Amino acid sequence: MLSSTARAPVHPGELLLSLGLIALGSFVIFETGSIAEIQGYAKIGPRLFPYVVGAGLTLCGALLAWHALSGGWRHVPLDQEGHDAPDWPAFAIISAGIILHMVVIGWAGFIIASTLLFVLIARGFGSRRPVRDAVIAILLSIIVFFVFTLALGLSLPKGPFGGG
Amino acid sequence: MDTFSALMSGFAVALTLKNLMWGFLGVTLGTAIGVLPGVGPALTIALLLPATASLDPTGALIMFAGIYYGAMYGGSTTSILLNTPGESATIVTALEGNLMAKRGRAGPALATSAIGSFVAGTIATILLTVMAPIVVEFALKFGPAEYFAVMVLAFTTVSAVLGASAARGLASLFFGLAIGLIGLDSQTGQARFTLGIPELLDGIDVVVVAVGLFAVGETLYIATYLNRQVDKLEKMKGSIWMSRSDWKRSWKPWLRGTALGFPFGTIPAGGAEIPTFLSYAIEKKLSKYPEEFGKGAIEGVAGPEAANNASATGTLVPLLTLGLPTTATAAIILAAFQQWGLQPGPLLFETQPLLIWGLIASMYVGNVILLVLNLPLIGIWVKLLEIPRPMLYAGILIFATLGAYGLRNSWFDLALLYIIGVIGFLMRRYDIPVAPVLVGMILGPLAEQQFRRALAISQGDLSVFITQPISGTVFAITVVVLFGPPIWKRISARRQANR
Repeated sequence: MLSSTARAPVHPGELLLSLGLIALGSFVIFETGSIAEIQGYAKIGPRLFPYVVGAGLTLCGALLAWHALSGGWRHVPLDQEGHDAPDWPAFAIISAGIILHMVVIGWAGFIIASTLLFVLIARGFGSRRPVRDAVIAILLSIIVFFVFTLALGLSLPKGPFGGG
Repeated sequence: MDTFSALMSGFAVALTLKNLMWGFLGVTLGTAIGVLPGVGPALTIALLLPATASLDPTGALIMFAGIYYGAMYGGSTTSILLNTPGESATIVTALEGNLMAKRGRAGPALATSAIGSFVAGTIATILLTVMAPIVVEFALKFGPAEYFAVMVLAFTTVSAVLGASAARGLASLFFGLAIGLIGLDSQTGQARFTLGIPELLDGIDVVVVAVGLFAVGETLYIATYLNRQVDKLEKMKGSIWMSRSDWKRSWKPWLRGTALGFPFGTIPAGGAEIPTFLSYAIEKKLSKYPEEFGKGAIEGVAGPEAANNASATGTLVPLLTLGLPTTATAAIILAAFQQWGLQPGPLLFETQPLLIWGLIASMYVGNVILLVLNLPLIGIWVKLLEIPRPMLYAGILIFATLGAYGLRNSWFDLALLYIIGVIGFLMRRYDIPVAPVLVGMILGPLAEQQFRRALAISQGDLSVFITQPISGTVFAITVVVLFGPPIWKRISARRQANR
């Protein structure tokens, strides 16, 4: 309550998230309609619960939207430093790392994909020594690969080095 | 079988060489990972779920229990030396503990937290041993309506009562419930919300959600908003042992902290936040050295640490006896049970007594291991804190992607992981609690099942939930818990205004 006084009357991020919740809730309600209702002896089929969940999401979204329009969300802690200066390049580099890993892992194998991921995340956190990062990454990925495949029996893609 | 002989047979399980080894591994791994800032017990257990699916459930669950309290302890080490309270439960420890470390008293702060954790953990485990059979006895009378009522109470307390805002907590809960809906309906086998994507027929795996929210979301948040801050790691100086006066000032707070923490853990009010804050306030009031509070008073570490640990063990009472998770970590442990087709609850005490009692007995052992392991190895834990941030988060992400991909070697799970990671990032940015998502997604399908069973028995009559005495009482409590605090606030605000 106290925290909301110092802030702008309408907080766009909060409003967007609230609208997102309403959209998600409406989508759940809409999709529930397409679930075939089998009226068993139970009387309650697979639709009721989804309707309740969809309605709950929509109501929460509406309440939060109203909060966002009337002075901002309630009881937001003040101690979140750095919110005014987000580092979007870092966000982008890390996202790129995760997406690249997803694309590459199937054919290049776990070790190469994880090495790329490691180097990009480290870069996103401001590391300026990609060669050192890559060496650490390769060592770590090899150890992890063998621990998880040999000792724990998980199957991971070997990539071109493993012969298949 | 009476409790004592059940516990003894549990010790026979827990003290086999193999299970001792699992416990040892769990405690070590849990502490090591718990020390790393930004990694908690929920994430650790979630990451290990796919890798343990083929293991014997007793051993794996003993390891998870070890990870659970190992990570709790590791987390307090971090907050004492680094003052980055990752988990809400260690905020208070960070308060006084970090100040003690700044004054060169890191050793005694770590010692009182380790010994306090041991004392609290052991007393809480004794209480768990005594209470569990009583609750089980009571819970055997539960039908579907009663289970549904208790689950709704848990949903309410986890989302609406804890945390800063009921609206945000409930939004998070419903989001979790919506995730839980995806997949085949457990009663009729119909596909729901799969959008024609075959990968979604099995539902979204809890590993993907937990790792997405805790690892990917946290990494994105720290990199975007907090990376410019520099953490200051306090040096370990002087003796790590407590002086005679430290002991004298610590033992009462340990006991009081335990007495506060355990009950708060057992009632479905999840989390150690409230008891740790209460313990801090009480110790400040009772201390002979109130002037030291705010400068590093040992009571302010001893009490909250004990409360934190006792409540962690207390959480296991509803989890094991009713199958009711009240924290994010408990929800993941429930998912671990489900991985082997086990459903915690009163019936599990009858069908798998050796597993349950072996697990409980292993907690006595685990607390001893924790105590023996921690103080001598403190040097290693401090080394872990010196890992530079880029390396740390890059490493975490390797394990995170491995956990998601290892489920079924599908890129689809990695795509989901990133999407949920971005959602976790937004939730962190806008102060939306994450635990209700996990509790909702794990407990939601079970609640729906009980709800529909209850209505099948009552022939669709919704009034069963209110007319059955136990279920009616629990629903009444839920209403009080949900609407009581805001009404109370309004009344006292009006009184203030009238004065």
